[in-house]
Amino acid sequence: MSVLPFPSFLDDIKEKGFKRALYEGINEVVERATAGMNLQDIREALRGEAASRKPNPRLQPHADGFWLHMRPSYFHKSVTGVYPEFRLGWLSTYFVFFETITGIFLMVFYTPSPTYAYANMLTIMSNVPLGQFMRDLHRLGAEAMVLIVTLHMIRTFFTGSYKKPRQFTWFTGVILLFLTMFLSFSGYLLPWDQLALWAVTIGASMIEAAPPEVVGTNLNLLLRGGPDIGANGLLRFYLLHVLAVPALLFIFVGVHYYKVVVHGHSLPPKEENIGEDTAKRVPLDKRVYFIPDILTSEIMWIAVTTLILVILSTWFFHAPLENHADPQITPLGTTAPWYFLWVQGALKLGDKVLWGIIFPTIYVGFLAVLPYIDTTRSRRWAHRRSIFTIILALIAVTVILSYMGLAEFGVINSADVDVLHHMTMEPAHNHIGLLRPVPFDQLTPGIYTTRQFDASPGEEAEVLAGFNTEIEQSLIAPYRVSDTFTADTTEGFVANYLEVQQHLHIPASGLNFVSLPTDATELMSIMDEFHHELEVEEKELHNGWGGIVITDEQASLKRVDLFIFWNEVEMERGFPVLDANGEPILALGADGNPILRISSQRVYIHEDSQYFNAPGA
Amino acid sequence: MLQRLLIDKMENRIIVGTIAFLGIMVLVGWLAINEGGRMQAFERQYLARSIERGAALFNSNCSSCHATDGLGLAGRAPALNSPYLFGHNFLASIDRELVTLGQELTRTDLSAERAVEITTRVTELQSERASIVQALQPAVTKGYDPETPSRLARLGWGGTLNSFVYTTLVHGRPTSGLYWPTGQGMAAWSQTAGGPLRGDQLEDLTNYILNYDKGDGWTTDDANAVVQYPINPIDSALAGPADDTPRVGTDVAAIETELVNITRDPVNGQALYNGGVYACAGCHSNAAVAPATGQTWTAAQNERLQAPENAGQTPEQYLIMSIINPNHYIVPGYPAGVMPQNFGERMTHQDLGDILAYLESYDSGVGAQASADGG
Repeated sequence: MSVLPFPSFLDDIKEKGFKRALYEGINEVVERATAGMNLQDIREALRGEAASRKPNPRLQPHADGFWLHMRPSYFHKSVTGVYPEFRLGWLSTYFVFFETITGIFLMVFYTPSPTYAYANMLTIMSNVPLGQFMRDLHRLGAEAMVLIVTLHMIRTFFTGSYKKPRQFTWFTGVILLFLTMFLSFSGYLLPWDQLALWAVTIGASMIEAAPPEVVGTNLNLLLRGGPDIGANGLLRFYLLHVLAVPALLFIFVGVHYYKVVVHGHSLPPKEENIGEDTAKRVPLDKRVYFIPDILTSEIMWIAVTTLILVILSTWFFHAPLENHADPQITPLGTTAPWYFLWVQGALKLGDKVLWGIIFPTIYVGFLAVLPYIDTTRSRRWAHRRSIFTIILALIAVTVILSYMGLAEFGVINSADVDVLHHMTMEPAHNHIGLLRPVPFDQLTPGIYTTRQFDASPGEEAEVLAGFNTEIEQSLIAPYRVSDTFTADTTEGFVANYLEVQQHLHIPASGLNFVSLPTDATELMSIMDEFHHELEVEEKELHNGWGGIVITDEQASLKRVDLFIFWNEVEMERGFPVLDANGEPILALGADGNPILRISSQRVYIHEDSQYFNAPGA
Repeated sequence: MLQRLLIDKMENRIIVGTIAFLGIMVLVGWLAINEGGRMQAFERQYLARSIERGAALFNSNCSSCHATDGLGLAGRAPALNSPYLFGHNFLASIDRELVTLGQELTRTDLSAERAVEITTRVTELQSERASIVQALQPAVTKGYDPETPSRLARLGWGGTLNSFVYTTLVHGRPTSGLYWPTGQGMAAWSQTAGGPLRGDQLEDLTNYILNYDKGDGWTTDDANAVVQYPINPIDSALAGPADDTPRVGTDVAAIETELVNITRDPVNGQALYNGGVYACAGCHSNAAVAPATGQTWTAAQNERLQAPENAGQTPEQYLIMSIINPNHYIVPGYPAGVMPQNFGERMTHQDLGDILAYLESYDSGVGAQASADGG
């Protein structure tokens, strides 16, 4: 008789004893949860034994379960190794979940509004336990995902696995690649820092070029939510990033997986006769069952991958966070994310419409329809010379264009801007101005110059004394393109410039250059570098010399003004014009005198700023 | 080789996976343990960099009035690099000791020797105090008062210094043009208030300004180096007209009788209303600070005189009462005790009459014009 008015676990206990009833209860739950494998079956599988009952319970989850119905129940032995698949497809899938999980963590602390987004980043970094770690993982995972998906596509090309009957699998794969890139790209904007704003501004401006004008303008408006990226643009990118694109991605992952189950994994080309596809006809002795071998192998792969990501995020990689986004300040050397550098490089070739829209469209379109163009039957390398030539050329072009997309290529700044930028830049793109990491206590207030390094050791004081006299006496014709100062001497000119233009308080005694403190070794070495860079740029910064004025701004804050003073030379297309002797030609002002120029940059350095020369600083 | 499973034996796969998993757990645990320190370090570093950005913003936006060294410009804007802003009291420790000694002196069981000792010490302290005040004379001539050394206390500011600086940056000083010699007020700097800067930039600026604080390290030289101290819109120290004309006092009925004999001049009233002596406009031109007098006089009459407290008063009685005894009736939504209580001791009948005339003229063309100017 039942204890309760219906059959229950208590009856089982009464009948079989507690231990046995509990075991059977758990066993049943496990069997239901795995859609067919009970504890004994799992134990056998993990021990590497054959299944002890029939029908084979290890096939049940593939037939009855949701998750494994997307996976083949057995693989051909030849596709289970590192080659030909390198597990790239599996890792791509893993990253989808990895990014979803870390992304949800970050979403909890994020508000998609320009007013709050950056402050949210600061909160994540300063007030959320493991917040920085999650952000690092999410960012690192995003970059890794683009890389892995791209490699997966390249692998598929090399083994010819896009050929009949897998054309459509390849097509959905190309869509997935671009969804991945767009996911990564749309995530760029969310921290609302300078890197975010400008990388996305560059990316979005390509869309504006789409012809005809009415289409480009409106697409651009739709994406940005206004002429510039602001509150609306951020909200749109956020929704694309967390909702629209992931939804599309999950759909296409489903299609992609379904096609893999339908067509099977293609064998290495050499194992099949030309034109044959035997993936679905795996001989019994070649079968490797998903449970347990492939499954444990895949779990091991993701465990190791996660460990690598965790190690990288712990010691080697921190997601960058630059200054708050500011539409008024364009940082020098702004680039698109690395996977879009090829488009940025192409844009430098000329017409925005041709290179920014038509060329990438053809590029992507060609990739998408590759299996329908290359319909040759053989998957062996020897038979695919023409398509290999085309694709390898395409890879080469992409690499070259990506290089051209770098800020270093084809963007000519005037030499003074470059030198000053190199000395003082804020941490960005894994670079930092040389001056910033100088230890705070080495920034002794004083007025120093690169001229010191023209002297042989021991004679600095003498040389500087001579130089001080020189700038006090030399009469110049004060002349600069944008501002005119009235001063009779070089010293007066420089001092006036720093005071009026830079609001720097110069002591009444004027500019009096002194030797760098000998114990300030790092300051010394960056001044040496400053001197060296001026020498390298001697053609453009003719007779150039640099100065540095360090002052106490507040008790814990120093102000450092760097300036370069030089004779302007004739320039053509960003390079100095040289005469027959290889010497630059001095530019002359309206009064026939050489034009003197000065350019400066100031930084403030606080003792707790902790700038250091590490990647991701 | 490459065509086999990377690790062929199941046991090894399980071992590698387990080790990797444990490795992840250990690392995450290690990170979690160190999170407190890391977050603190980040905050310190972020504050430092925020101060750096604030310095750059200060240099380009603020230094033309507050000077590059933050010491202020004479007649233009007050110092921020000043012990007064940070409320440093040079006399604090002496005053504390004086109070303690004074209390001890009142004890009945005090021995005679101790009493002498205390008296000596008090004399000593008082001379020390006097010498500090003496040392501060250069600052005193610029408007500093060693007895009320805190800007916030003097303003009755209820919040922190941080919030004082930040809100000042947000809104500016809408009416400071009325009582600063240059006639230029501080503009609102926040984009939310129509200015050029974002909230994070204002925070950077605030951090920079607060970084002027020297804590206990302020010296009298710092106070003397200040070029300009703040000017208060309502300065009780200003006694009104310099001559010894009788003041109105606090008796409303008596004032009314006197006012009958006065020829009132609304134009002079307007000048007084906006001027630095009584500085009414310093507060009453911004409804966020005090009830604005920019609306028409009839409207004010209709609203204020309906209140039960004011029942039976004539409009003029109400106005006089409001000036000489502001706490008699406080307009709902505003705090009591903010407006100076001593206008009765400071105003002459002529001044009061002129100001009343100006206020009552709000319904006429003159008043409308004046109100437009005031706004």
